[in-house]
Amino acid sequence: MTPSALPWMPWLPAPADAQAMWDGFLRRLAHLPKVADVARKVRVGATPKEVVHRIDKLRLLHYLNDETPRFETPLLVVFALVNRPYILDLRPGKSVVSHFIQGGFNTYNLDWGVPSDGDRFLDMNDYINGYLDDMVDEVRQRCGVEQINLLGYCMGGSMSAMYTALHPHKVRNLIMLAAPVDWSSKDYLLGKWVDPGVFDVDQLIEVYGNAPADLLQGSFLMLKPVSTLVEKYFSFYENMENEKFLEDFFAMETWLNDNIPVAGEMFRQFVKYCMQQNRLIKGTLRIGGKPVNLRNVTCPVLNLTAQQDHLVPCGLSTPFNDAVGSADRTAINFPAGHIGLAVGSKANRDLWPRAVAWLAERSKPLTERTIDQPGRRA
Amino acid sequence: MNETANNPADPFSRFWMDMMSRMTSAAMPAAAPTAGPLGASPLGEEYLRTMRQAFFDAWAKYCDEYLGSEPFLEIMRKSMENALAFKRQVNEFLAKSVHEAQMPSREDTDSIMLVLRSMEERVLDRLEKLSQRVEALEARGAGGPSTAATAAARSQPPAPDATRGGKRPGKGGAR
Repeated sequence: MTPSALPWMPWLPAPADAQAMWDGFLRRLAHLPKVADVARKVRVGATPKEVVHRIDKLRLLHYLNDETPRFETPLLVVFALVNRPYILDLRPGKSVVSHFIQGGFNTYNLDWGVPSDGDRFLDMNDYINGYLDDMVDEVRQRCGVEQINLLGYCMGGSMSAMYTALHPHKVRNLIMLAAPVDWSSKDYLLGKWVDPGVFDVDQLIEVYGNAPADLLQGSFLMLKPVSTLVEKYFSFYENMENEKFLEDFFAMETWLNDNIPVAGEMFRQFVKYCMQQNRLIKGTLRIGGKPVNLRNVTCPVLNLTAQQDHLVPCGLSTPFNDAVGSADRTAINFPAGHIGLAVGSKANRDLWPRAVAWLAERSKPLTERTIDQPGRRA
Repeated sequence: MNETANNPADPFSRFWMDMMSRMTSAAMPAAAPTAGPLGASPLGEEYLRTMRQAFFDAWAKYCDEYLGSEPFLEIMRKSMENALAFKRQVNEFLAKSVHEAQMPSREDTDSIMLVLRSMEERVLDRLEKLSQRVEALEARGAGGPSTAATAAARSQPPAPDATRGGKRPGKGGAR
């Protein structure tokens, strides 16, 4: 290696290194058509699925599998309202859903749809006691079972916890994935931003109707600006010739930029009652006139948290296990970030097989009486 | 209020100082020709990558600090207030314009939506009461203990009846 041309500026690359960098740049430039081709062809969603039920804008997706499920109790995945749910089935090898399907579970996913201006008055009661309950009933009916397994991710996890507290007899097992329940801590960035002294959610919803997707997207990006706006693109530049990297990158970008607005009243209630007033963990939250008491959650609970989660730090999720009335509570704090918990290679290799095993231990195996072929009504 | 708030320039000067010190320390191993970072060649691409990472780490740290600081929160609050006030004015102007043209504005459709929701709530409440009365009557007609029968019926999976298709959000609970 030749030394730098200017010894007093050792960080300057030597001419040979500069030449190599320039060559690399030209090579990547020549690779641009391939990059554009990968971007154009990128597909999200690894597992074949069908829409089995619709209510208003909601769709209940059933994942198809050639094998007969081994467990009687189906699994319903409940995602947050702010993004699309295909992050849990992003690409082959990065699919939470496929773990459960291969584990023998009849798996469903709830797509909340994209709310329009007319949906601005939909509130927590509509979403939890209305839509979610309808979808749970639909899954129960399709599979001919009394109870289902619920997996809630992020805000969807908080909603699943509320649902389970209100309808405990319909849930056999509850898996919480990076789901906040206790917003008492203000030591994280989002907590500071939604402080009532800073963020007037009433005004926002009054003026905009629904919570705008752009605002939500911008806020999420600004939580880690260097990583999301700068570092990511350096990494992209360095890996432009790696097709596998490009496929993953564009799939992830597709999801990240596929933000949707949140129904105004639902957003207002969630921010105000949960994030600002912390009513859920305090037991003072009421939905549809009924108190949401987490002590009513008596089913087995698996609480999955991410150690490097900047959006939902562990401290927001871990108190859930102490708040519920269940005797069977498990917590796993995994070394990953908020999204890495779902799509990270490490999580897919080490975490999800454990989660499937946990659920399998607590689920009833299918007997000969109950054969629930995919897509067939029981 | 922390020290950052007292001197708005301080976070920036501290940022640059810290960044320079990190980059310098990242550059130090390269000064010795045999000890490049990550075992890479001392003045090669790996070396520049290490310096770049040091820069990003410093930048990320100070961004995080600044985005959570009192001055930034105040700026955020004020800019949101202004943006909302502007948007409200735009909304009012548009509403006036469409009213002048004798067309309904969003306010009008919103008020219709509210009326419909209110009607829906009243109908659902009434249905809930009626269904409770029917259950009670059925239990009385069957002669059995009403609570056990009702509880058993509720724990069953729902039957595929005609009413399911027409269920609306908020079907079961009183609001």
